[in-house]
Amino acid sequence: MVFEFIGKSLPRHDGFAKASGLIEFTFDIEIPGMLYGRILKSPYAFARVGRIDSSLAEAMGAVVLTPEDVPNVLFNPRLVSIEEDTFKDWRILTKSPRYVGEPIAAVAAASEDLAQRALEALRVEFEEVYEPLLDPFKAMSPSARPIHDRVQRGRQWIEVRNNVAAELKYSEGDLETEEKKSSVIVERKFHASRRYHAQLEPKGAVCKLEADGSLIVWTTTQTIHNTKILISQVYGIPMNKIEVKKIPIGGGFGSSIHTNLVTLIAVGLCLKSRKPVKLVLTREEDMVHDHTSYEFYMKVRAGATREGIITFGELENIVDIGAHQIQAYPLLGASLGWFVSLYKWKALRYHGKAVYTNKVPSCAIRGYGAPEITWAVETVIDEIAEELRIDPLDFRLINYRGKGEIFWGQGPTVRSIIRSDGVPELTSKCSELIGWKNRGNPKEKTGRYRRGIGVGRGFHTSGAGGPLSGAVIDYTGAIIKVNEDGTIDYITALQDHGGGTLDAHAKIIAEELKIPPSKIRIVWSSSSTTVYDVCTHASRGVFAGGEAARRAASEVKKKILEYAARILDAVSPEALRVQYDKELNDAVIFVEGAPEKRISLSEVARVAWQRNWGSISASVSYRATVAPPSFTVYFVEVEVDTETGIIKPVRVVAGADIGTVISPELAAGQIHGGFAIGWSWAVGDEVVYLEDGVPAHRLSLSDYKLPTIMDLPDDESFKVVFASTYEPYGPFGAKGLGEAASNPVIAAVANAIYNAIGIRFYEIPITPEKVLKALKGGD
Amino acid sequence: MLAINSVNTYRIPQKFEYYKPRDLREALELLNSIEDAKIVAGGTDLVVDLKYRRVVPKALIDVSELSELRFIRTDGNYIEIGSAVTMQELVESEIVKKSLPLLAEVVESIGSWQIRNLATIGGNICNASPAADSVPPLLTYDAELELASLNGPRTVSIEKFFTGPKKTVLERGEILRSIKIPLSQQKFGWSYVKIGRTSFDLAKVSVAVLLRAEDGIVSEVRIALGSVAPTPVRARTTEKSITGMSLERAAVRASELIVSEIAPIDDVRSTAWYRSRVAKILVRDAIWKAYERFLQVGDKNEDQV
Ligand SMILES: Cc1cc2nc3c(=O)[nH]c(=O)nc-3n(C[C@H](O)[C@H](O)[C@H](O)COP(=O)(O)OP(=O)(O)OC[C@H]3O[C@@H](n4cnc5c(N)ncnc54)[C@H](O)[C@@H]3O)c2cc1C
Repeated sequence: MVFEFIGKSLPRHDGFAKASGLIEFTFDIEIPGMLYGRILKSPYAFARVGRIDSSLAEAMGAVVLTPEDVPNVLFNPRLVSIEEDTFKDWRILTKSPRYVGEPIAAVAAASEDLAQRALEALRVEFEEVYEPLLDPFKAMSPSARPIHDRVQRGRQWIEVRNNVAAELKYSEGDLETEEKKSSVIVERKFHASRRYHAQLEPKGAVCKLEADGSLIVWTTTQTIHNTKILISQVYGIPMNKIEVKKIPIGGGFGSSIHTNLVTLIAVGLCLKSRKPVKLVLTREEDMVHDHTSYEFYMKVRAGATREGIITFGELENIVDIGAHQIQAYPLLGASLGWFVSLYKWKALRYHGKAVYTNKVPSCAIRGYGAPEITWAVETVIDEIAEELRIDPLDFRLINYRGKGEIFWGQGPTVRSIIRSDGVPELTSKCSELIGWKNRGNPKEKTGRYRRGIGVGRGFHTSGAGGPLSGAVIDYTGAIIKVNEDGTIDYITALQDHGGGTLDAHAKIIAEELKIPPSKIRIVWSSSSTTVYDVCTHASRGVFAGGEAARRAASEVKKKILEYAARILDAVSPEALRVQYDKELNDAVIFVEGAPEKRISLSEVARVAWQRNWGSISASVSYRATVAPPSFTVYFVEVEVDTETGIIKPVRVVAGADIGTVISPELAAGQIHGGFAIGWSWAVGDEVVYLEDGVPAHRLSLSDYKLPTIMDLPDDESFKVVFASTYEPYGPFGAKGLGEAASNPVIAAVANAIYNAIGIRFYEIPITPEKVLKALKGGD
Repeated sequence: MLAINSVNTYRIPQKFEYYKPRDLREALELLNSIEDAKIVAGGTDLVVDLKYRRVVPKALIDVSELSELRFIRTDGNYIEIGSAVTMQELVESEIVKKSLPLLAEVVESIGSWQIRNLATIGGNICNASPAADSVPPLLTYDAELELASLNGPRTVSIEKFFTGPKKTVLERGEILRSIKIPLSQQKFGWSYVKIGRTSFDLAKVSVAVLLRAEDGIVSEVRIALGSVAPTPVRARTTEKSITGMSLERAAVRASELIVSEIAPIDDVRSTAWYRSRVAKILVRDAIWKAYERFLQVGDKNEDQV
């Protein structure tokens, strides 16, 4: 297909503003009379609070918010499952802190300094301090103290037993028979540590009451509508009285997939003080006391026949979720979904458990379990292939789930058929580029510096849509309005985390209407001025949001053609053609073979206005009926210094099947970023807790290290290959990318390390300390 | 009230006075008259400490713009660097590039451009971190520290300056005025090997070496290490025993001996086990690298240390 705008490199609509610092984030908002908030965080990982004395703080002129001042309701900050599957165990402020940093109270005052002094003037009595449960296996023992006695599932109260927050079991096929058919069976245990999202912007919120009593909220969020709904549910405010404004966010990586607790606390302070309030976490608060990734303990068991056909797969998945649920139950389902969709297991068994511990609550991090599951499975697949003496690439190609197979987008209730699949193409192109055949055998490698090449194959879903409604909410919407001069206002609730999602939408609209993207303004809208979108998550921004935008553009186009037909005196809109005119920099509508019958889109808009024909606009609500996988195949070459254990990335060849590539440079950027984050998970840092439940990395980013550009391969050594696929359900053939870009990275890196030194690591991060121990023994 | 609530603000959560003296004399007088005053230069270490309330000074005395502390000069015998010279100024200094290639290489690797434009060499030394990157090179240079006070100046060898993490022999009322590096007539090969968790990190282990050789025999060697003991250390015993050895033997022997001169600990950056293990390797690497440099430099830099 030949496109006018899609696939072209065009400047980002917010590029200049971001590069120059002109763009405003939540932190930059200043409102006259505004108060500054600070949160009183629990110093104990597991305790019970008695009296809170706020008299000193109030005497200083601060407004103090205690658990008594906020609604006594349980909630789940993440609204993505249907109500019956939503587990609620959070309170806005608590008297039973369950992790170090859990908010107990908050203050707001006329300056940050005063707020800080007022915070320090609060007196909190702790009635009990319990020994924290930091290990999920200890937490599950029947004698362990319950972190929660009971929580709500939807409207139902449920007892929590053995600190298991949620559980999911699933099986398919005849496992025993398949086991018998297997000539090789491999069983391995894996541990993926807790990691910090390190999104660029720490979380924050600004709230303000309008004269009519409605509440205006600006906040770091991946979803303005769910933020509105949650504030409404928790505070009992009607939804039309809450307006959540969309404002740029400095990345998310899953950290603002839910409504952040800061937002709810800021609302409380604003309602109590009746003044505008700003509450922004510092980097330290954000990373030490607000969120981390999930921690996985996995056991994979899988088999194959001598001919290299996979027989069965088993996954035990114990997830340490910290002190509260954000999306633990859906994670158990999604993990199963990733597992099922990786290979054609003839029989499978799954047991997932989400376990409470006295640690900072975990939330989704880029990939939502897929990087961890993919790492575990791709390791076992490599090991089986090695035992069978089959090239690991061939083994994958024989057994992976591709075109025509069923794909589970986000768990058991999100299923659809795979219709586009670039795996064979990518595997052959990328393996050639990296020199797969010459990777050598680790047993034959000698010398201090040893190189190895590894592969990781994976995918991510494009949204959580599907033909049946299922347990996951997923729909979106778009509004397009043609102005009286033919320019466009594009109004969507969908948030752009910084990846350029909305630039892709603008190109899609431009392509449909044949007008340049520069004529389309992406409006900074709000929950009041847009129709519902669930969230920018699950790599659905382009696939679902882009298709909604295309549909809205298509409706608008229909009206434009109707009006043009009237003006040009054509028999019907069907007689008209539309194309982009470079000179006019506009779409022109014309009758084929009649050169005088020609009008620009802006002229149609002007005439419609002058003749009182009414606005040209469309509002679309759209639910995708499929959730196609975007496949990625990573080949990574590493170099291991066997004397220091230091691992360096030497070369990367990353193949991505994302259907039509809408913005090649931004898509390549997603892959570079995806590798960087995956690399940091594989060999970088982790969040560690001391015995009392205090995170060991107390000093923020000076102690929790992220790779810099100097630690990653340069452009020359990093090749990105896009497959030439077309997804029939995507806008102009496009699929998602954000998470697929990082999902197989850990797997590829771990397999490369094995190819270099012949040692497999079953725990990430693979630090130099661990590598050296493994190589030399701990003397 | 509670530790985690008294830090982590966007502001520095404490009050103090701030002075910007016009000259060194005034700085010394202020330092003398105010109890609990702290010198601030670039603030890249101190402001972090203030935010975490690890130091609670009554006043800050800003020396970052005192011309008496901001010079790099040489008289043929010494190179003298004022304590308030920034890392970036050292990177850009022709004198340093020409005569102190080891220091030049090290300062260029410190922090980022933004940090180097604030961070001073005096701050790096006086902060007394075992990981301070400029210190191992200065130890191998046998640098002398010129301290100023109202009682008059005194000179302390950098080897005697540190007494523990964050601890020095600086007395109340004293300011580090300058660093004096004796110029040698001999040319040395040099190396600095540092490993951190990423390229933007304090050292897990660092080693600086200056070395001369004749016909493949070590004729003079100086070795200093960072992040492997309560203070940066000069490995005198190792130096002595490997002098006169062939390079091959010297490298191996140094690697064996070095463990006895260090006392590493576990911390957020690494473990004691890893540090001693890797210090052995890095010392060997650093000796070889310095030797390669020695062979390369030839007689080009007459007055290079
Ligand atoms: C992001 C970041 C990266 C960094 N990277 C590195 C790195 O790679 N390597 C490294 O070694 N360090 C690094 N540092 C630490 C720091 O930048 C250096 O130690 C720096 O040289 C300190 O100098 P300063 O002028 O900022 O000192 P300040 O913070 O102003 O002072 C530090 C201490 O020295 C005292 N002091 C300063 N000047 C004098 C004086 N003339 N006389 C007496 N006392 C004095 C102060 O009272 C204070 O106790 C980094 C810091 C940051 C924030």
